Amino acid sequence: MKRKFVTDINKIKYEVCVEVAKAAFEGNLEQKREEIPYTIIPGKTPQYRCCVYREREIIRQRVRLAEGHSAVAGYEDKNIVQILPAACEGCPINRFSVTNNCQMCMAKKCMGACNFGAITFEQGRAHIDPKKCKECGRCAEACPYNAIADLMRPCKRSCPVDAISLDEDMIVVIDDKKCINCGQCIVNCPFGAISDKSFMVDVIKLINGGAKVYAMVAPAIEGQFGGDVSVGMIRSAIKALGFEDMFEVSLGADFVSKNEALELEEAVKEGRKMTTSCCPAFVNMIKKHFPQVLDKMSSTVSPMQATARIIKAMYPEAVCVFIGPCIAKKGEVIDSITMGGADYAMTYEELASMFEAKDIDPADFEAELQQGSKYGKNYSVSGGVTAAVLQTFKERNEELDVKVNRCNGALECKKALMLLKAGRLPEDFIEGMACVGGCVSGPAMINKDRTFMKDRNNQIGKADDRGILENCDQYSALDFSMTRH
Amino acid sequence: MVVTICIGSSCHLKGSRDVIAILQRLVLLHGLSDQVELTGSFCMGECEKGVCVKVNDELFSVTPATAESFFNEHILGRI
Repeated sequence: MKRKFVTDINKIKYEVCVEVAKAAFEGNLEQKREEIPYTIIPGKTPQYRCCVYREREIIRQRVRLAEGHSAVAGYEDKNIVQILPAACEGCPINRFSVTNNCQMCMAKKCMGACNFGAITFEQGRAHIDPKKCKECGRCAEACPYNAIADLMRPCKRSCPVDAISLDEDMIVVIDDKKCINCGQCIVNCPFGAISDKSFMVDVIKLINGGAKVYAMVAPAIEGQFGGDVSVGMIRSAIKALGFEDMFEVSLGADFVSKNEALELEEAVKEGRKMTTSCCPAFVNMIKKHFPQVLDKMSSTVSPMQATARIIKAMYPEAVCVFIGPCIAKKGEVIDSITMGGADYAMTYEELASMFEAKDIDPADFEAELQQGSKYGKNYSVSGGVTAAVLQTFKERNEELDVKVNRCNGALECKKALMLLKAGRLPEDFIEGMACVGGCVSGPAMINKDRTFMKDRNNQIGKADDRGILENCDQYSALDFSMTRH
Repeated sequence: MVVTICIGSSCHLKGSRDVIAILQRLVLLHGLSDQVELTGSFCMGECEKGVCVKVNDELFSVTPATAESFFNEHILGRI
């Protein structure tokens, strides 16, 4: 099928994944590995960079990531988010600089605004001394002509936890002790110099080897493959790839709502504050930056783990693969190997590549499926987790007086966690979502069209109105735990 | 102490999930949850040695059958 891409970077990432998936399915990745850079960048004329050799080196590094390695051999680290050193253009480091818009005015408000004496005038025009500049930004605010540009590197600007620095060659470096794998730098680097490691080849090898591999699609799935492609059709397409079957993670989400509501009730009774635990980047933020409040995090497993436990309760041999818009989920899988849940995590980008590699189009299938309630399906939208948790009280004809802080995006999460840590959070419950808007704006979404939310809401509108508790009751015969420990 | 178990497809087929379950049981049995952290990793690139297990940064080859003796020797032995 013809696919639209947000940028050429997404297109190149997709093309690499398609070639790697093709070779992995055919079982000849060893032989094809060296050919892929030439398949994708043929000829001698570069399209984006100084030469084809550099473009091919970037493809080589992307192939390594698609196979689950770091971009450069010998520099392995555990982080999911990885840099592609060959692709980093070493953007300028001096954050504020005076542009040609400078009108050489008389007021010189920029100079007046600078508390550090960094601004001087040379031939009438403002000049910022990078050695004195503290990057406070007051000069840029003061200039009536907007002549001072804020050129903070997009990777650094996008990082909510200050995990990005530069090495001596101005190439980006990610501090894995700080990185929460949210994926914002991947989306925001204009040169595609940051990307994520993949489990895709492992999953394909297991399918080829005859393992019973089950896909679990995250609740952001509706509308991902087009307005007319339903979850049932995606399930059929996924089975055509060789997966044993597919489950909706919104089903696990219903169990999370039920369990988290009981926890919240208890916490409110005892006057304790509580946070959600379903967004892995939010969980990483707590673990790495606010460990003091870790005991306030819900002990309920994430919807991904809940769904995997449901599947394994039914089919003990199952290999469970999460597929979603999220990069941090891959890290959650690695960090939670002892939880008996998901075995691997992949993205919608990687799933689309697998479809392309096998020439499968979900639009060609006809089927319907609904496993999760509408509330479970809306876990992927900011505010959706809270709505679902509170819905379970309604379904039990009970009421709970609880003040909620719905944190939409990593910066809001950070603010709320700082208040929680300081004991000054006015609300009782934090819903933490690291992506602004929720998972539906996750870094590995393939469909970011303006019509996406409309398509998605149309599809969810067709789902039945089953209750959360009623939905959970259907699985009451299964024995599995909903807690992290 | 960080014990890293490879969860790549090759190690998976050689029983990495069983190795994890055995090690986890032994860690709990010896009350070492606070001292031993079990974590996963992408393919370590040493598939022929699978199941690959790293203790701090040293690589070991473990199978479900040898997991218990590995635990006694290299995990208990280092605590």
